[in-house]
Amino acid sequence: MSESELGRKWDRCLADAVVKIGTGFGLGIVFSLTFFKRRMWPLAFGSGLGLGMAYSNCQHDFQAPYLLHGKYVKEQEQ
Amino acid sequence: MVARVWSLMRFLIKGSVAGGAVYLVYDQELLGPSDKSQAALRKAGEVVPPAVYQFSQYVCQQTGLQLPQLPAPPKIDFPIRDTWNSGVIRVMSALSVAPTKACEYSREGWEYVKTRVK
Repeated sequence: MSESELGRKWDRCLADAVVKIGTGFGLGIVFSLTFFKRRMWPLAFGSGLGLGMAYSNCQHDFQAPYLLHGKYVKEQEQ
Repeated sequence: MVARVWSLMRFLIKGSVAGGAVYLVYDQELLGPSDKSQAALRKAGEVVPPAVYQFSQYVCQQTGLQLPQLPAPPKIDFPIRDTWNSGVIRVMSALSVAPTKACEYSREGWEYVKTRVK
């Protein structure tokens, strides 16, 4: 992986983390105000959900060149 | 009867707001792949500042207030990434040659002391 590609991946990861944490936080605010009587736990839950999704995407993105995708080949009976 | 209808209306309004928010997130693919999120962030960066500016202009027109004209921020032409990278490379090269240089300088110092003592 070249340095420029690594830098692009890091940029993508950070942007993805910002968007996902913000979206989770926003959804947490909406649900906290509408259904959960202004409690704090939907905000924490939403932010944590976004953070976890961003981490998973980043991990997949960085490990992508090293993943080997194998497949099973059935033996043909002669 | 009225209280029941009102509570049902309130539930429907809250459900609509929450459902609208979830649909907006789904439609814009904010919780999807990372390239879609990056595109959404870029689009937000392009759309939000002009919208905020237009809204502030509209508020000024309606209320008659005058927003003070702030001076433009200074443009700092400092490439942080390049200087950081070159700094890291310099530090690592200095650390890698440090033992050799230390031996060399200590040997030279020893030679100097020997010549001075003679």
